[in-house]
Amino acid sequence: MKSWIQLCLWEARQLLRGGALRWVCGALLAAGLLALWSGDRRLARHASEIAGLPGHLTTQMEAVARQFTPDGEAGYVAYYAFLPTHHPLAPLAALSVGLRDVVPSVIWVRLLGLEGQLYEADLGNPALQALGNFDFAFVCCVLAPLALLLLGHDALARERDAGRLPLLAAQGVSLGRLLAIRVLLAWGAVAATLALTFALAVPWVGLSVDALTLTWFGTALGHLAVWAALAALVAAAARSVATSLAVSLAGWIGAVVLLPAVLNLALVTALPVSDGLEITVRQRQETHGAWDRPRADVMNAFFAHRPQWADTPPVTGRFAWRWYYAMHEMSDRSVADLGRTYRANLRARQDALIRFAWLAPSAYAQLRLNHLARTDLDAHLAYLDEVRAFHERLRDHFYPLVFADARITPADYAAFPAYAPPASPVSAAPPPFWPLLLTGIAALFATHRFLQRPILS
Amino acid sequence: MSSPILTIARAEARLHLRRRAWAVLLGLFAVLLLTAAVLNQVRQSRERAQQAAYQDLVRAQWEGQPDRHPHRVAHYGTFAFKSPGPLAALDPGVDAYAGRIQFLEAHRQNAANFAEASQLSSAFRLGELTPAFVLQAVLPLLLVVLGFQAMTGERESGRLRLLASAGLPLRTIALGKALGLATAAAPFLALGALTGLVQLGLDPAAPLAQPGGTARAMLFAVAVLAHTLAWIVFIIAVSGRLARSAPAGAVLLVAWLATVVVLPRAAAAAADALHPLPDKTSFAAAVTAEVRAQGDSHDPNDEHFRELRERMLAEHGVDRVEDLPVNYGAIVMAEGEKLSAETFARHLAALGRTQNAQAAVVDGVAWVAPYLAARRLSTAAAGTDLTAQLAFQREAEAFRYEFVQELNTLQRDKIVYGGDPDQRLSADHWSRFADFRATPPALADSLRGTAVAWSALLAWIAVPFLVLLRPAPPSAS
Repeated sequence: MKSWIQLCLWEARQLLRGGALRWVCGALLAAGLLALWSGDRRLARHASEIAGLPGHLTTQMEAVARQFTPDGEAGYVAYYAFLPTHHPLAPLAALSVGLRDVVPSVIWVRLLGLEGQLYEADLGNPALQALGNFDFAFVCCVLAPLALLLLGHDALARERDAGRLPLLAAQGVSLGRLLAIRVLLAWGAVAATLALTFALAVPWVGLSVDALTLTWFGTALGHLAVWAALAALVAAAARSVATSLAVSLAGWIGAVVLLPAVLNLALVTALPVSDGLEITVRQRQETHGAWDRPRADVMNAFFAHRPQWADTPPVTGRFAWRWYYAMHEMSDRSVADLGRTYRANLRARQDALIRFAWLAPSAYAQLRLNHLARTDLDAHLAYLDEVRAFHERLRDHFYPLVFADARITPADYAAFPAYAPPASPVSAAPPPFWPLLLTGIAALFATHRFLQRPILS
Repeated sequence: MSSPILTIARAEARLHLRRRAWAVLLGLFAVLLLTAAVLNQVRQSRERAQQAAYQDLVRAQWEGQPDRHPHRVAHYGTFAFKSPGPLAALDPGVDAYAGRIQFLEAHRQNAANFAEASQLSSAFRLGELTPAFVLQAVLPLLLVVLGFQAMTGERESGRLRLLASAGLPLRTIALGKALGLATAAAPFLALGALTGLVQLGLDPAAPLAQPGGTARAMLFAVAVLAHTLAWIVFIIAVSGRLARSAPAGAVLLVAWLATVVVLPRAAAAAADALHPLPDKTSFAAAVTAEVRAQGDSHDPNDEHFRELRERMLAEHGVDRVEDLPVNYGAIVMAEGEKLSAETFARHLAALGRTQNAQAAVVDGVAWVAPYLAARRLSTAAAGTDLTAQLAFQREAEAFRYEFVQELNTLQRDKIVYGGDPDQRLSADHWSRFADFRATPPALADSLRGTAVAWSALLAWIAVPFLVLLRPAPPSAS
């Protein structure tokens, strides 16, 4: 036991004295701070956009009031009343941006057919998006493993290169023990750097230290531990520093770039998702086709779903607002199947991804981090469901007015439904951690096998 | 050329080619490159097929329209499809993140939608595996692994002192080493060229046969070559200045990591901070407010169009708009479309300027990260850069305007103002409308604004070359 501690202290001193640690951890810390700065800006921008929504709504409704007072025909007012919904960013989203920079966080909806309003792109610069995000999840999942490999890959090879390995063995130093101590120290150094950055993130971006936040960071550290096992494997297998460096880099590129990309394209190819365009095209055909069909056909189909309006007088002329909105609701219903299939396909792809992503630990860990931060595909689809529910409230609010040919005066605007994000959004269980654990255990097992080899061969 | 350089180069190259590491790295490179090539080709052809299918469907639906009022047709609208850039198979650039399809209708400017990225699963934002990525990001790393000991190894073994005392200038040795590394890199580049040519040859869009296609391919190759050369010179320069292999390897690795992995993302964050884009709500609100101030073109009695009314009445010598020989409602509509289209174009241009300013920040970072310069040039050569995307948006907006005004003209001439609200135009009018066809980006347009990237790349060859000519003295510490 004593020799363990002595060896640990000795190795720790060596590590601290060497220049590599300072460079590697310093660079990692700098990268972490840059990620926090960028994440904090993202949160602030998002907050200011949300804060601006009521003002924009007021301006819009003032214009509607000017245009439609005194008539205030309900159909017209509903036509021009776009109401805002938003998908709040949790503080953790500052640490892992996930999909949130390519999907909209604010969607304005009105009483018209909803499906066509759901897939509008956000403003963004594709040239910047293509370069990728600099978030803390990227630092934890991509840069930190490389830092760990750089510090630990030559744990045994540098002794071998210097010709000290047989000497150490002759002195009864267990190679396994030496390897374990060196790799664990490297893990500790990198983990400490991440922990420092993370501790700074708590006050900086306003993280609350709760179970979720700790699970998030625990995932990051656990993922790093898997890489420690992989580093040990490289260190045990490689016979020279040059080899271990080459293998480390090849392994890192393979796990971080090649495997995720191959996996992604394989899944996209195997599980094609016809995009939202199909929905738009079909809905367009429905809404415009309705103008060429007898009004009663649309109304009767509508009444089958909304019997409470079946007693309203028949639509006789060319145009009536109640027919117009009924027709739009029917167009939504005509694409409901397509929308469900679209979402089911996206989910199936996501599920398949989770099933295979353990092959690429970094990608898998990022999936889990994004899920915990609610910035993944699931979170976005859940938001779209919320918007659907809100749109249903719009129908409940406006249909009685539209069907009664009522007037909507500016005094009535305050009663319009207002979107409030769910206090505790429903969320599926995150991708489990155990696949990563299995990778780590397998790596340790292989390391053990390599250590059984004769030293001089 | 002095033969000592060649002698050293030959020896160095032979050394490289005999190493097992060289063969392993070449194998790794080949696997990566072929995977990237095959997968991108598959993705490209799927996308093209899907787009073609949609185009046919939308066209069939368009021509299948019954008799309709022209303004109904203007809202029924049409779609603009962006075809992949000429060399998108080599470097898809911004294509996956940019909207590929724009819905075009009267009085509204819809955003280009359906970017592939919003359907991707969130884990995969780590850099797309494309042939350009393998050539510009992976190859330099492999060269670092191959070459970081080129000078320091000789220094550590004492051979450098030996060679120097034999009267060989250090810069000759360094030049020879650089040439040797370049020779070792040649098979990598040859494989890249071969794969690229096969890809372009197999591409059903036949990019090489298109105007400017060959020039684009050459440009792409020159950008990759220049970037690779910059790294070769840089590697030997660093190896020549440092005393030992371990620090040389560390410096080069950090340089690779910084310039390829960290700085591009940092540059994006900086560009976003320096030139923030408006949020969508504010942007849309500004456009709406301006269009609203121009009056309601659906209402012929709107006061904003009074002057137009007076002018029309005076021109035709009548007292009431109903007595005009043309449909006054359509004239107001056309005038409103003109005003709102000007507003759209102005705001779109402002947005494009901000996006270009952001891209310029990234270009500026290319002075310290040659990968960004190479990327800028290869996406420009491939026609998959921001320039091409903005051109598509402008073109789609121009097409939208013409499309809507053509329908307004039909309404002006063939629909009676104040007549039966259910008047319709016969369906045979629709087939006369042409589909939107994106013009492939012109080579000259693609090259505009790439001067910074070219200069940065040249600087990355020139400055390390000057350092390479002055290696540290041979005394091993």
